[in-house]
Amino acid sequence: MKRINSAINTNSAEFKANAEHNRRLAAEFREKQRAARHDRPQRDIDRLRKQNKLTVRERIERLLDPGTPFMELSSLAANEMYDGSVPGAGCVTGIGIVSGREVVINAGDPSVKGGAWYPITIKKTVRALDIAIENRLPVVHLCDSAGGFLPEQAELFADKYYAGRIFRNQCTLSKMGVQQVSVVLGHCTAGGAYVPGLSDYNVIVRGTGAIFLAGPPLVKAATGEEVSVDELGGCDMHTSVSGTADYPASSEDEAIAIARDIVAQFKTPDKTRIEWQEPEAPYYDPNELYGIIPRDIKQQFDIREVIARIVDGSRFHEYQPKYGTTLVCGYAHLWGYKVGIIGNNGVLFNDSALKGAHFIELCNQNKVPIIFLQNITGYMVGREYERAGITKDGAKMIMAVTGCEVPKFTVMCHGSFGAGNYGMSGRAFDSRMLYAWPQHQISVMGAEQAANTLAEVKVRQLARAGETLTAEQIEEIRQPVLAEFKRKSSAYWSTSEIWDDGILDPVDTRNALGMSISAALNAPIRDPSYGVFRM
Amino acid sequence: MRHGFKFQDSEYDVGLSRSADGYRLHHDGQQWPFTLQPSEDGGWILGSRAAGAQVLDHLSVAVDGDDVHIHLDGQTYTLRFEHALERLAQLNEAGAADAIRATMPGSLISLAVASGDSVKKGQTLLVMESMKMETTIVAPRDGIIAEVLVDAGQTFDKDAVLLALEPQDSDAEASA
Amino acid sequence: MNTQDWPFDTVLVANRGEIAVRILRSIHAAGLRGVVVYHAADRLSPAVAAADVAVEISGETPVAAYLDGAQIIQAACESGAGAIHPGYGFLSENAPFARAVAEAGLIFVGPTPEQIELMGDKVRARAFVEKAGFPVAPSAIEDDDPATFVERAREVPFPILIKPAAGGGGKGMRVVRDPADLEGEIERARSEGQRYFGDGRLYVERYIENPRHIEVQILGNSHGNVVHLFERECSVQRRFQKIIEETPSPALTPEIRSKICETAAGIARSAGYVNAGTVEFIYGEGGEFYFLETNTRLQVEHPVTEQITGVDLALQQLCIAAGEPLPFSQDDITSQGHSIEFRIYAEDAAAGFTPTTGPVLQWTPAQGEGVRMDSGIAQGQAVTAAFDPMLAKLIVTGADREQACARADKALRELVLLGCKTNTSFLRQVLNHPAFVRGDVHTGFLDAHPELAQEPELDTLSLNKLLAVAAAMTRPMRDVADAVPTMHAAMGEWRN
Repeated sequence: MKRINSAINTNSAEFKANAEHNRRLAAEFREKQRAARHDRPQRDIDRLRKQNKLTVRERIERLLDPGTPFMELSSLAANEMYDGSVPGAGCVTGIGIVSGREVVINAGDPSVKGGAWYPITIKKTVRALDIAIENRLPVVHLCDSAGGFLPEQAELFADKYYAGRIFRNQCTLSKMGVQQVSVVLGHCTAGGAYVPGLSDYNVIVRGTGAIFLAGPPLVKAATGEEVSVDELGGCDMHTSVSGTADYPASSEDEAIAIARDIVAQFKTPDKTRIEWQEPEAPYYDPNELYGIIPRDIKQQFDIREVIARIVDGSRFHEYQPKYGTTLVCGYAHLWGYKVGIIGNNGVLFNDSALKGAHFIELCNQNKVPIIFLQNITGYMVGREYERAGITKDGAKMIMAVTGCEVPKFTVMCHGSFGAGNYGMSGRAFDSRMLYAWPQHQISVMGAEQAANTLAEVKVRQLARAGETLTAEQIEEIRQPVLAEFKRKSSAYWSTSEIWDDGILDPVDTRNALGMSISAALNAPIRDPSYGVFRM
Repeated sequence: MRHGFKFQDSEYDVGLSRSADGYRLHHDGQQWPFTLQPSEDGGWILGSRAAGAQVLDHLSVAVDGDDVHIHLDGQTYTLRFEHALERLAQLNEAGAADAIRATMPGSLISLAVASGDSVKKGQTLLVMESMKMETTIVAPRDGIIAEVLVDAGQTFDKDAVLLALEPQDSDAEASA
Repeated sequence: MNTQDWPFDTVLVANRGEIAVRILRSIHAAGLRGVVVYHAADRLSPAVAAADVAVEISGETPVAAYLDGAQIIQAACESGAGAIHPGYGFLSENAPFARAVAEAGLIFVGPTPEQIELMGDKVRARAFVEKAGFPVAPSAIEDDDPATFVERAREVPFPILIKPAAGGGGKGMRVVRDPADLEGEIERARSEGQRYFGDGRLYVERYIENPRHIEVQILGNSHGNVVHLFERECSVQRRFQKIIEETPSPALTPEIRSKICETAAGIARSAGYVNAGTVEFIYGEGGEFYFLETNTRLQVEHPVTEQITGVDLALQQLCIAAGEPLPFSQDDITSQGHSIEFRIYAEDAAAGFTPTTGPVLQWTPAQGEGVRMDSGIAQGQAVTAAFDPMLAKLIVTGADREQACARADKALRELVLLGCKTNTSFLRQVLNHPAFVRGDVHTGFLDAHPELAQEPELDTLSLNKLLAVAAAMTRPMRDVADAVPTMHAAMGEWRN
């Protein structure tokens, strides 16, 4: 496996301009993250302090093993909703190390509307539990929620992927033999009560922790019974009378320490073995990614330059280097793990689609996880290509991606437009993890084309009515469409909607993928089986 | 609160993590990388960095229960491990000090009280002998002797419980 | 050495710890069999391992076993021992025991019961020495006239020192500076004397400020020959117990040295003293010295004398007990080099020298040029409160005092005892104190420098080292750290 020979001139004006641009984008991303994590109304912070509660960040830091990584998921979820008033969707999820085990952490954030569940909170939580299921990762729930956000109840209760899905996923995990521990740090009311209730183990904090189907006001309204929180569902009642909770704790610190000790009792996973060798840092500095990503979303760049800054020793075995060259396929090691990499170097033609489908089959046959690096404007259109069966060949690639049993990981490096998104394992194709870089754009077509298409439609409608539009009038139609399209195709919109598992600063890509691959290997890899390839 | 070590009358909050080629000590908000490998003579080689240079220390270590005894640079130290759960439980136990403990190893010369006696603060409870000197142990507070755990002539180690006072609460009730 | 004609071929050591090992070494050097008695608490001790025969003895307490003369004599008879060496402490200065040994037809390796009685009783010994014309300090003796004891004590120039008449080893001694405290202190000293020695009789004597403790090793045999083997200075003491001893004394001029040594030999000669003994003096700043007491046994600190004279004192004790003539005259005995002994105690110097206990998890004695270690502990044993806290002795010898001190510092750094706190770092502090370096010490030196006993301040780096090692050696911490997958461990505290 030889080293990629980078063609990047780090002294060029282009590189420097890109670097400046992308570093600014990364800084903006970091600032948004900081705000989402820490900026809260003072009264919410004061209320938590008065209750002797730690912040959700403090809880997580105490839960994690010292000196180990934590990969937060969807840190900017809900950031473009509710005027940003539900930062992080009101919860923190991620993968971290507790007592030496990889676990999913699902933590309510009581500093956001008392930890109330918004529809997007549920989406994020369900996604975290889906990750746990797909990767067989134990879960630590840090429960502190006021319950469902009633004004939005229609958007969070009844449907298949709404609140019930959380509990369904918990049961599914349990059935799979994947263990869960809940730490009850606040009230777990109504549905929320089932989170500790459906966990294998749970710990409850005396004083602040409580579990009940209905709180004292609702009980009074329903039956007239007057009862205190402690009597109804407090620590001592549940740990000594009802058996709903297992371990009493006198403080949050103690509760978290007990949870750590519980996780230490979980069986050590028998991880799936794949090809592995001693890890090696990339030869080329990952910081150079800033200078490689073009400022303009329409501008092409060589995806090998990205691969060189992600994989071990910048070494890459390229498959079919002279065929279907708009799709780069090959093997590399990442944090020691053997991976297949599929990256876009232009629009997908018939040959590149066939090459991609074949390479996916190779990886699947040999149990090599696949990383998709997306920068795709779609499959080639036009008579010549349709005649050559571009749809048929694209379908082969999509069939291969879907049927593939090895874990897939997708990084939205730049553009992701049209059906190319599917062939490159977009969100709908069950990549174990899907990350985006800050400048990433995603939509069914490019913003410019979309605005032009919509303006064109309008012009034709009016033309049929005998009207004609001036250039200014056309621009008036085009501009709002363009702006709306741009907003909704941005990485921030995408991540706010949880179309991905979070935006990454490009330099973090290697670690995020390393942690993702390691997590995925907690689940077995089944033997290949596919649907019907249109030949 | 994490695991801790008691050492020379202080308590240190300590974390340990593995790094690529050794360990890191987490203490006082800092991370301190080090390596620890057995040496050929049965001791240990501690590797660390100081002022940019690699430093190797040869040391002897013995572990006995929660006690870690370390001989480093001509000095011997004993650090006592305290499990995080133990520390947190202790933190949450209200006013436990109802045990009269030996301040040093020695033997009991005479007992001045018996089980059930009520005692005043400062009253002589017993006389112990250590280091060829007699030491008088007095009541730390008013209370009732719950239990006498040593006999005259018996030898004991430092921190051995000699007498138990009834807990403060029942005492307060009795006087109320 | 021809021991064919000796009246015994087997010697029982009625002691434990380092001194039992030390005596067994000389017994074996003489080609004799060595028997040791032991209490169950010492079953794993090196003395038991070193002996040809080990006989278990019992008692209400471990110490009581070693004080049970009848049991020990029986053990000697049953094991075929013809002589009993008592070591120091325990039964070494017990005249009834020495007598009982003789009555059992065995040989007591030491002076006669009469000499023990005379010299072991401070009051009688002092009167004897005074009468023989040797210098003693102004004093008042209770036995002379118990009714007037307190008044007579008040007439001795203050400060004064109260001592039990039957005492030794510093037990029950009290300094009184204010005559008003006299009566109370007399009562306390009497109570302690009663308890330790079963004898409440006291005497007081003038307390000399900043005194040095100088003692002289003597050997006398049954043929009436007495020689001295020079002096030892034992001024570094805590609570009247010696912790560092050396020879020659840095304080003495050659003239005073020979004067003291000859005085000691004279006293022994007057008493017709047989076997090894030590005459102790108190030495004032002005060069005056007074007789203090005589120890009718082998001293703890005897090795320094052996190191500079080349004489094996324990072996000479056996020869004398066998009735052999001394193999040397006074002129044959020369002193070469400088030797210092450090007593390794199981104690916490910073906590007022309180004894410590614990398992001996690792014991690595010091080694090297001029280093001798007499120890009686072994890995796997436990240090308990049952016995004296002295564990071992480090004896370092050099061409001169400076070299001996340098070797001592290295040896004290290198010897390792884990599991039970010892005074080694305190000994190093003393060793490196400028006054000690100058040889300018007195028996109150440690009291005047309490800072020497304090734990040295730890810098951040050293603290990190200790915490790091402790954490890595503690299973609940190391196991969790080791359980972290390699990749995550290498990533460290990465956050995205």
